[in-house]
Amino acid sequence: MIATQTIQQPTSEKKTILRMEHVTKRFGGLVAVSDFNLDLKEGELLGLIGPNGAGKTTIFNLITHVFPVTEGKIEFMGRDITKLKTDKIIRLGIARTFQNIRLFGSMTVKENIMTAFHAHLKSDLFSAVAFLPNYQREEEHIHSMTWELMKEVGIEHLADYKATSLPYGLQRKLEIARALATNPKLLLLDEPAAGMNPDETLELNKLILDIREKFKLTIIVIEHDMKVIMNICERIIVLDHGVTIAEGTPEEIQKNPVVIKAYLGAGDEDA
Amino acid sequence: MKRSTRVLLSILFIILIYVFVFFAEKYMDPFIKRILNTGFIYVILAVSLNLINGFTGQFSLGHAGFMAIGAYTSALLYMSPESKMSNFFMEPLISPLDRIQIPFFWAIIVGGLMAALAGFIVGAPSLRVRGDYLAIVTYGFSEIIRSLFNNLQNITNGPLGLKGLPTYTNLWWTVSWAIITVIVVRRIVDSSYGRALKSIRDDEVAAENLGINLFKHKVLAFVIGAFFAGVAGGLLGSLLMTIDPNSFSILFTYQIITIILLGGLGNITGSVVVAIGFAFLMEALRFVEMPMKIFGITIPGILGMRMLIFSILLMITILFFRKGLFGEREFTWEGFVRLFTKRKVNQQ
Repeated sequence: MIATQTIQQPTSEKKTILRMEHVTKRFGGLVAVSDFNLDLKEGELLGLIGPNGAGKTTIFNLITHVFPVTEGKIEFMGRDITKLKTDKIIRLGIARTFQNIRLFGSMTVKENIMTAFHAHLKSDLFSAVAFLPNYQREEEHIHSMTWELMKEVGIEHLADYKATSLPYGLQRKLEIARALATNPKLLLLDEPAAGMNPDETLELNKLILDIREKFKLTIIVIEHDMKVIMNICERIIVLDHGVTIAEGTPEEIQKNPVVIKAYLGAGDEDA
Repeated sequence: MKRSTRVLLSILFIILIYVFVFFAEKYMDPFIKRILNTGFIYVILAVSLNLINGFTGQFSLGHAGFMAIGAYTSALLYMSPESKMSNFFMEPLISPLDRIQIPFFWAIIVGGLMAALAGFIVGAPSLRVRGDYLAIVTYGFSEIIRSLFNNLQNITNGPLGLKGLPTYTNLWWTVSWAIITVIVVRRIVDSSYGRALKSIRDDEVAAENLGINLFKHKVLAFVIGAFFAGVAGGLLGSLLMTIDPNSFSILFTYQIITIILLGGLGNITGSVVVAIGFAFLMEALRFVEMPMKIFGITIPGILGMRMLIFSILLMITILFFRKGLFGEREFTWEGFVRLFTKRKVNQQ
């Protein structure tokens, strides 16, 4: 495994935002993730790829503590978050989208995004019920921020539509906008291009780069669409059966025989 | 429409209701008044259960239990010491309850708070389970309360119940509490907290991954719902003048669930309209429980036939109006005004 020893990135002097050490997840006898290590720098855009069942989404689920790690340690901005509850971790500044879109079906596009501001709401229930000035201010702020986020991803004309009535590609964008509403520092995107046509995918690439710039985000993206991964990611980690088989820049990964073997089976050099 | 206009219209509407209450209390037939009182108590129950079942999506069957706690707590506080003495002839009421008497208003509040406390104690451990399991746990709680109240002879007077409660409940009380319930629940639902509750109903995983503390918000809905159930229990006790543990059985919860399903889960307007309609229909349908003659065959009166009719109504609703009679349409002043402007256009 040559590629695992990556060349020192120029980003190395930057602060580490997420550190995962020897993270392992076992479901009974199945090892979903084995000894996963990550040192993610602030502002980085990392791609996580691998065949189906490689453990990519499991890593996201471990970071946000959808289920606990079996072994290992996860640190976010220098703080151990391994045992924190999901909602706490999100409030610290990690947001995610889902592989199978999870929008709130009974709500409109606008309400979906507005909901995400609740985690950071300062007013208590009483001020909300009595509509006191402090709550009014927060509600107004939520409204204007929601509007901005909808514009950012280009769905402001659909504000009052039922979220689930949107076409697939726009639902994905709405999910990204909703994730941004939690004011994250680290954004985890789980197959954002799934179900998108080539034009939409191009747009998505631009959107991801734009929001990284604008919201000063660090992003990890899981994707099968290589047009996304190879074009926008600075660093790629390849997983297979829970094991990290390669790590490096897009160019390095494309040439790596181990990766090609994992994706195509036999060592076909021309692939 | 501006918010201030809406608030003004709501205030005018509430004043109108109170004008009605004023005349109703003076001139209305006591029988109709009683049905109206029951109707408004159903409003409190339905709207508060809707907060838990409809908006937060936590299927609770514990409402009768919370009512029982509210009814007993308040009754033991507003009854006169003499009345208590005559009630508790098997075993005396424990001190200091036998000497205390506080005004009706505060007794109702304390009843509600006790129910809310029970809601917290039950909700905290049981809201970790979902769906059918939560229904079973809350049903179990309701039965435990009933059984407990049947056996706590020196607090609840056991199966004998409490008799001769003073009738404080009138339309002023029931209407005021119904209005408070509707306003509080509507305000919660329309606020950021309401969005959080609805997000939990729609998708727990997504809600949690937006940083919403599931447990805290579920308990919140549960406690507020229980508080109003306790208040309704207190009002009902003073209206019926007699309470016993078995009147707060699971059947009562089913009635409220029927109301919120007919009105539409998560629809306050539906709950209010159906609750009042339900109270009237319960009386109107009394004839089906009488002995009757159909085509020369005499059918003896069967108790509980009314509920059969409601079950049929419920089934029809579920078959043809899957989201209840009102669906997702809530009453808004904008919609109300539109109703009139549209008519004007038609007339021209």
